[in-house]
Amino acid sequence: MRHAAVAVSTALTLLLAGAASAAELRVGYSSDITTLDPANHRSRVTEGVIHNMYDAVVTRTDDMKVVPEIAESFKQIDATTYEAKIRKGIKFHDGSALTAEDVKFTFDRLTKENAMGGKTSPRKSLVGPVADTIVVDPLTVRFKLGNPWPIFPAYLPFNQVVSKAHVEKVGTDGMATKAMGSGPFKLVEWRRGDSVILERFADYYGGAADIPPAGPARVDRLIFKVIPEPASRVAALMAGEVDLIDELPHHAIKQIEGNPKTRVLKTNGTRSFFIDLNNRKPPFNDARVRQAANHAVNRQLIIDRILNGLAVPLATLISPDSYGYNAALKPYAYDPARAKALLAEAGHPNGLEVTIDVDNAFKDQAEAVAASMSQAGFKASVRLWERTALTDLWKDPEKHDRQMQFRSWGDGALDPVGIFVPVLKSRDRGNFSGYSNAEVDKLLTAADTETDVAKRSKMYQDAQAIIHKETPLIYLWLPQDVYGASKRLKSWQPSPRGIIKLHRAQVEG
Amino acid sequence: MTPVALVERLLQLVPVLLGIAAVVFFMMALTPGDPVELMLGDALATPEQKESLRRDMGLDRPAPERFALFLKNAATGEFGMSFHHRRPVGQVILERVPATVELTLASMLIALVLGIGLGVLAAVKRDSWIDRVATVTSLVGVSMPGFWFGILLILLFAVALGVLPVSGRIGYAGEVPFVTRFLLVDTLIAGRVDSFLDALRHLLLPAVTLGLAMAAFLMRVTRASMLEALAQDYVTFAEAKGISRARVLFRHALKNALIPTVTVAAIETGTLLGGNMIVETVFGWPGLGRLVVEGIFTRNYPLVQACVLLYAVTYVLLNFCADLLYAALNPRVRL
Repeated sequence: MRHAAVAVSTALTLLLAGAASAAELRVGYSSDITTLDPANHRSRVTEGVIHNMYDAVVTRTDDMKVVPEIAESFKQIDATTYEAKIRKGIKFHDGSALTAEDVKFTFDRLTKENAMGGKTSPRKSLVGPVADTIVVDPLTVRFKLGNPWPIFPAYLPFNQVVSKAHVEKVGTDGMATKAMGSGPFKLVEWRRGDSVILERFADYYGGAADIPPAGPARVDRLIFKVIPEPASRVAALMAGEVDLIDELPHHAIKQIEGNPKTRVLKTNGTRSFFIDLNNRKPPFNDARVRQAANHAVNRQLIIDRILNGLAVPLATLISPDSYGYNAALKPYAYDPARAKALLAEAGHPNGLEVTIDVDNAFKDQAEAVAASMSQAGFKASVRLWERTALTDLWKDPEKHDRQMQFRSWGDGALDPVGIFVPVLKSRDRGNFSGYSNAEVDKLLTAADTETDVAKRSKMYQDAQAIIHKETPLIYLWLPQDVYGASKRLKSWQPSPRGIIKLHRAQVEG
Repeated sequence: MTPVALVERLLQLVPVLLGIAAVVFFMMALTPGDPVELMLGDALATPEQKESLRRDMGLDRPAPERFALFLKNAATGEFGMSFHHRRPVGQVILERVPATVELTLASMLIALVLGIGLGVLAAVKRDSWIDRVATVTSLVGVSMPGFWFGILLILLFAVALGVLPVSGRIGYAGEVPFVTRFLLVDTLIAGRVDSFLDALRHLLLPAVTLGLAMAAFLMRVTRASMLEALAQDYVTFAEAKGISRARVLFRHALKNALIPTVTVAAIETGTLLGGNMIVETVFGWPGLGRLVVEGIFTRNYPLVQACVLLYAVTYVLLNFCADLLYAALNPRVRL
């Protein structure tokens, strides 16, 4: 049988070599998508594939700037009104024209209760307080918000525009498997669990004007092939079966770099790691002890040794790629002497015993932090918990006696409102440290409704300066996303969005 | 088997399935991790939006009530909506069953051919080098973990030699329309011999990985029972009558030796279903096993419950088939 297979494979290789002359790009994807309906999921891998078929009103550049996509222009009219002028001549894959009606239909479907076959879109919270979408003329649409929400543009790229006629024809059930957007690729077939096969949409309008080059996709066919096992994904890349893989395991980086046909691509992620300090109880109700803790962690060493160098140290919990990032602040320097001095000043001249709570997934990182702290005046130990139990325990900072919690928070929109507010505003949904500072609260509340982009950014930067000094948390690092690619793949770079949009990608040879 | 006995056996299924349903339901319900929180992550969501999602998933009701509803619906073949696919569970599962059945049948075929063939050979050439090689190989086959063996095969045949594909069911799925969802059948229906061979190449490594442990096990059973049969008086007698060696081996000895092998094979097929979860993950095989694994990680209760029930029914039915086969092959046994 094996001989037969070898003979057959030789014949097939010859056969397939002929067929491959049409440019085909294959992606080895770590998970299968759950649906093709842009409004009916909460999954980034699903969104990544959908973005190749459906375009949105606005999109992001690789360095995360929000720019118009199907819109010709996008602007704010007043505190609660935004207006998009849709580009003329945009076609859906069935040849019909995309108009303001389709945009309105898309947002009504996302925001109205029970608008999707009796259910409500799980993406409703990504649209914010949109109260109504108004068609001004066939190519102009206005979004009317219930209250000011300056990050509306930052969240708009998460929601792609669907065709009203198509949804009415196939229904919400049909939308799960029948994609029909205005994006650079159209659906050929989704083989559940196996692959999503797309082909170039010849009548594509060209994509965002601010992201050159515009024009139709540069490959004829795009296939997302599901390969969940990391080792198999790496093998598929090495064997030339795919040209791009996501979630490259760290241990395979050297192997991919060492192979003449493959390379490693990296980008900053959007998830910040930090340690909650219990600001309500001793010892961490003393700012000096908190600062000592920040001076006691050798971030760079841990990044190099435990995270294979694939992370950037953080000055606060805001990513360097984020809007409103304060670049003047530097990460706390590793300084055991300074840490010991601060501890002594705070009344702990003989060291301080502390425990870091962590769940299994990050045990090694928490242990490295504990080891580092133990060389700088602390006697730190690690206690393992099940994640959900830990969240329950820490949920109410008033009620528990725990000291430190190793944790992370993701912020896909890269706007402080998605991370700064929940984690450090008084009593917000992710504030487990119990930190409460009236001035920070004031700045964050004002920023929530400040519509001047520069002023709002300044507010966040000022607030960062305060939390940098007060250190309610130990700020740790921001891990990078790592991809493996063949050298045939050109004109594609990963971005912190984590979305693999291959409109401009090329394959050579 | 009399019709009464058959009905009796089928009725025994009911308490078994009820028990499994209860265990699975409460295991999932007690596993920490809130499906709503897992789905939304850290993203913006108001408490009202979370509640509305919880309502959509039916999770706003207490567990006993959900269990009663689950039983009631399961009786009519209705398993609710898969949380993440947001489609009926039955539909999601049915799409994935053919791939798993195809892989299981191929592995079984490999296991039967290799296992019985080598088992007979080892018994006949007892204590020769063939016997020793076969015995050691079977030991390795039984002890080797599937995920590791699978990766080794991939590295050798796909990466180093480049003769077989790494993962998936077919090179380019778009060329052959789904009819039965069994690719080996669909490619032939489409008249595409090249695609058929391609599908076969994709099937080879996962089927070998999955089938090897079973082959090793069958080989040991066959070898032992063949040795036992060869030592029987009727074999000596047949040989004394001057019947040819081949005829003695296959007509007289093997026919009897196969009885335990066949029953073991039927039961072991159930084990193959379990192995699917690993092999399907390693080889990117779009079957049921991987669906369950993904479902467990995302706390997709309805999906996992329905899949486990399906596995349980299959397993019980396979055992039932083993009993029937045993009776059919061995005239001394009557059910």
